[in-house]
Amino acid sequence: MVKVTIDGRELEFAAGTSLFDACREARGEALPHFCYHPDLSVAGVCRLCQVEVEGMPKLTIACNTAVREGMVVHTRSEKVRRAAQQILEMHLINHPVDCPICDQAGECGLQDQYMTYGLYESEVGMSDKVHKAKVQVIGPRVVLDKERCVLCSRCVRFCDEVTRTGELGIFNRGDRAEIGVAPGRQLDNAYSLNTVDICPVGALTSLDFRFKKRVWLLKSTPSICHGCATGCNVRVDHEAGTVYRLKPRRNPAVNGAWMCDEGRDTYRPLHAADRLREPLLRRDGALRAATWPEAWEALAGLVGRDAPLGFAVVAPRQTLEEIALFTHLAAALGAAPAAVSGGPREADRGEGDDLLVSADRAPNRASLSWLGLEEPAGADLAARVRATRGAVLVYGADPVADAPGWCEAVAGRTVIHLGTRRGATAEAAEVVIPLSAWAEKDGLLVNRQGRVQASRRAIVRPGLAQEDWRFLADWLTATGETDAPVSLPELRGWVAARVPALAGVDLNVLPPEGLVPDAVAAGHGGER
Amino acid sequence: MNQDQYRILSRRFDRRDGHRLAAYEADGGYRALRRAVGELGAVAVREEVKASGLRGRGGAGFPAGVKWGFVPQGAETVYFMVNADESEPGTFKDRFLLDYDPHAVIEGSAISSFAVGAKLCVIYIRGEFGWLIDRVQKAVDEAYAAGYLGRGAFGGAYELEMIVHKGAGAYICGEETGLINSVTGLKGQPNIKPPFPAVSGFLGKPTIVNNVETVAAVPWILEHGATAYRKFGTEKSPGTKLFSVSGPVRRPGVHEIPLGLPFREFFDDWLGGMADGEELKAVIVGGSSVPVLTAAEAMEVALDYESLATAGTMLGSGGMIIIPQRCDMVELIQVLMHFYWDESCGQCTPCREGTGWLHKIVQRLRRGEGAPEDLALLEKVCEGMAGLTICPLADAAVMPMRSFLQRFRPEFEALAAGRRATEPDSRWAREIRS
Repeated sequence: MVKVTIDGRELEFAAGTSLFDACREARGEALPHFCYHPDLSVAGVCRLCQVEVEGMPKLTIACNTAVREGMVVHTRSEKVRRAAQQILEMHLINHPVDCPICDQAGECGLQDQYMTYGLYESEVGMSDKVHKAKVQVIGPRVVLDKERCVLCSRCVRFCDEVTRTGELGIFNRGDRAEIGVAPGRQLDNAYSLNTVDICPVGALTSLDFRFKKRVWLLKSTPSICHGCATGCNVRVDHEAGTVYRLKPRRNPAVNGAWMCDEGRDTYRPLHAADRLREPLLRRDGALRAATWPEAWEALAGLVGRDAPLGFAVVAPRQTLEEIALFTHLAAALGAAPAAVSGGPREADRGEGDDLLVSADRAPNRASLSWLGLEEPAGADLAARVRATRGAVLVYGADPVADAPGWCEAVAGRTVIHLGTRRGATAEAAEVVIPLSAWAEKDGLLVNRQGRVQASRRAIVRPGLAQEDWRFLADWLTATGETDAPVSLPELRGWVAARVPALAGVDLNVLPPEGLVPDAVAAGHGGER
Repeated sequence: MNQDQYRILSRRFDRRDGHRLAAYEADGGYRALRRAVGELGAVAVREEVKASGLRGRGGAGFPAGVKWGFVPQGAETVYFMVNADESEPGTFKDRFLLDYDPHAVIEGSAISSFAVGAKLCVIYIRGEFGWLIDRVQKAVDEAYAAGYLGRGAFGGAYELEMIVHKGAGAYICGEETGLINSVTGLKGQPNIKPPFPAVSGFLGKPTIVNNVETVAAVPWILEHGATAYRKFGTEKSPGTKLFSVSGPVRRPGVHEIPLGLPFREFFDDWLGGMADGEELKAVIVGGSSVPVLTAAEAMEVALDYESLATAGTMLGSGGMIIIPQRCDMVELIQVLMHFYWDESCGQCTPCREGTGWLHKIVQRLRRGEGAPEDLALLEKVCEGMAGLTICPLADAAVMPMRSFLQRFRPEFEALAAGRRATEPDSRWAREIRS
C-alpha cells in the first residue's frame, strides 16, 4: 500500500493503482475524461484528466500515472480547472453541436462535462468548422457520425483488445483524422453495440435504439441478462411499461463492462404480439379468454386428490425461487419427484464463444442440480412422459415446438401450460395460465459460475398475467398446504433452507457482484 | 579565424568521393569501431561518450551517454535506431551527413549499437529523401561486404544487422516513439510515456533512438578521446554542432561551429552577413519550432544550449532561418502554422484541434477578416496547447506562434485592425513552404 494525498486528503492505495482511479475514490467523482476506460488499455489522448502532481514541472494525465508513495496531487486547483476547460473547448471547436437531433443528448460526455466546466460562448464560427461524413451505417447495428467524434479511440481499442476483430481504425491525421471501418469490412462482430456504449459522444449510435426515445425519459433498472448462462449484468432502460434497450452494467467478476449483441435483443419478446394477457380455457375445441376464478375452477377439475398430476416440466429460464416452488408444487399435486424434469435441453443450446456468450442459452440451468432436478433429453423425456398417467404440467417451456417426440408422448393427455407466450404448447393445452416475463418480476438466477444474481422487475405485467411465485404459492395453498410462502423474501428463506448448496446463505442480501455460495466454490470453481 | 579547425563532422563534406568506403577508410574510417569492439568493450565506449558530454543533436539536447544508460542492465534484446527523419522546416544538416559522409553515420551507429548491446540497428530515413536512401543503402552494403556489419564481423567479436528503413512522409515520425511505431508498421504517432523507449520500445524491447548527427560524432570521440572533444564548445555544451542556414545571407548552407560561438561572430565570419540589399530582421536559431529572436536579440546570444535557453529560445536542431526585413512575419507564421496543422498526428485533442485553429485564425488575419480580439484568442489557444500533449508537436507550434506575436505584435495588430495584408514579396515565404 502507498500513501497518496489527493486534494488534501491522505488515502492509501495498492501499489500500481492508476492515479485516475485513486482520484475517483478521493473525489467521489471521476476526473473529466473521454478516452480512459477501466477495461481498455490507456490511450492518453483526450488529455482531459490532467492533474497537478507536486514536484512535476507540468500537469500530468492521471490515467497514465501510477500512484507513488508520498505523492501529493491536486485535482481542483485553478491550473487544473483551467487546463480542463481549455481542452474541453478544443474538443468542441470542430464538433457540430447538433445536440437537438443527436440521440446521445442527455447521456453525452461532451454535454455533461461542458455543463461542469463550460465556456458557453463559442469563439469558433460555424463556417470555420471541419466537416466530416454523417449518418454512415457501418455495420448491422451501428451508425457512425464522424463529425461528432472526439477521437477518444475507445471503440478502436475495444475492437482491437476485447473482440480482437480490428474492424475500426483512425484514418488520416491532424484535424482530418476520423474513425472508419477497415476497407472491405463492416463493424459486425458479436459485441458491436459495446462501441456505442463506450462512445462518450453521439458518434456511434445504435440502429435499434436511435430516435426511439429521449434518454432522459428513460428509467433504469439493474437486472441480469436472460440470454444465456453467463448472466451478464445489465441495465433495463424503460419507460411507461416499454423496454427500449439493455445496457451492460459493469461487473468485473462476470462480464467486465460488456455484453453481447444477441443479449441486447432479449427485450423484444417482452413486447411480442403473442404475449398471454389473460387465462385461456379450451371450450368447444378452441382456447378462449377466461377469468381467474374460471381458471382456478378448471385447474381444480383437472388436477386434484382424485386426479393426480402425471408429469411436470419446467424450463431452466425460470428463476431459482420459481423452480424450487414448482418442484414442491408438482410433488404436492402427485407427480413423483423423479417425474419432474428440468425441461428439454435442446431448446437452449447455441453457439458459444470464449468471451461472454455461453453455448448454454438457458440463464438458470445451474440451479437445476441444486434443486435435484434431472434433465432427460429427447427420447428419454418422451419415454418418461409416456410412463406416467394424468395431466402434464408445462412451466415456461414450449416442448411441443422444441422437444423431439413430445407430441407423440402427450397425445391424448391433458396439458396445462404456465407461461408468457401463446406458443405451440399453449395451443395444445386445456388450460393456459398467463405469467410474468423476466423483466416483469423479481427473481434469482444461478449462472454458469454458480453465482447467484438478482434479476429485478423493471416493468408491469401485461393484462391479467400473474406474478409466477404468487400463482404457484396460491396453487400450493389450494392443495391444502398451510405454510406456503406469502412473500418473496420468505420464499427465498424457504428455498435456502431446502437447498444444501445454499446452506447459511441469505438470498435476500446479495453483494453487488453476486454470490457464489461457499459450498459451490469449494466443490468446483465453475466455468469461465 | 580558421573555421576548418572545427570541422569534425563536416570534414568530408567537400570531397567528391567522401561517401565511398575507400575514401572513408583512407581517412582512418572504421578504426574506431575496430577499437571499440576489439579493445574497449561496450562499457568503456559508454563511459567515453558520457565523458565527452555529447548531447542529442535532434533538438532536445539530452546527453547521449546518459540516454544509453537508461537501458535496463541485463536486457537481452536491445534495438538501436538512427533518427534520419529530418523534416523540421529550416533543418537540412543530417541530409549532408547522409549524403557526403554516410560511412561516418554507419560507423557511429555501429559503435553506438555495440555500446548499448543492440544486434539490430535501423536507420530511419525520411521518405522524401529518396536519393539519400539509395546512397545510405549502398554504403551499408559496402560495410557489410567489408565485414564491418553482419554476423561474424571482426572475427565474430560482435554482430550487427543494419536496416535502412524508409519513412512514409510524416514529420511526427521524427519523435522517437512515433519513429518506432512507424518501423513496427503501425501508424506513425507518438506513444504515451512512460514507458520510455529505452525501457520498452520496438517490439516492447529496450530501444535507443539517436539523431544522425549525434551518432556521427561518436567515431571521432572514440578516436580522439572525450577530452579532445571537450576542447570544443562550452562546459555544458561541449563539442561542435552543424547549423543549416537558410535565408538571404552571403554564405547559406551547412556550417560546423564550436558550441558557444557568439551569433554575431557566426553571422559575420561564417555567413558573411546579409546579402546585398538585405537587412536582418529576425532569426530563428534552431529550426521552425523554437521561438524567434529579433535581430537585436540575436546579436547578443551565444550559440549553445544554455545561452539560448537564457535568451528565451532553444538551440533545437540547428536549423537556422535568417529572416530579412522585407519578410512579412504574419505571412511567415502562416506558413509555419500550416505546417504544424498539416503534420499534427491528430491523437491529442489540444494539438489536433489547436494547430488547425491557430492556422485558421492566422489565415483569417491575412485575408483581412481578422478582429482585434483575434490576438488574444491566438494567445488563449496557445495556452490550451502548451505542455498538455503526449509529444512536443503542440509546443513546437506554440513556441513560434507566441514569439512571433510577442516580438512582432505591430504587424499582427495592423492586420487585426482590419487592414488587408499588403501583398509583400511572398516569394521568400513560398521558398520556405517548398
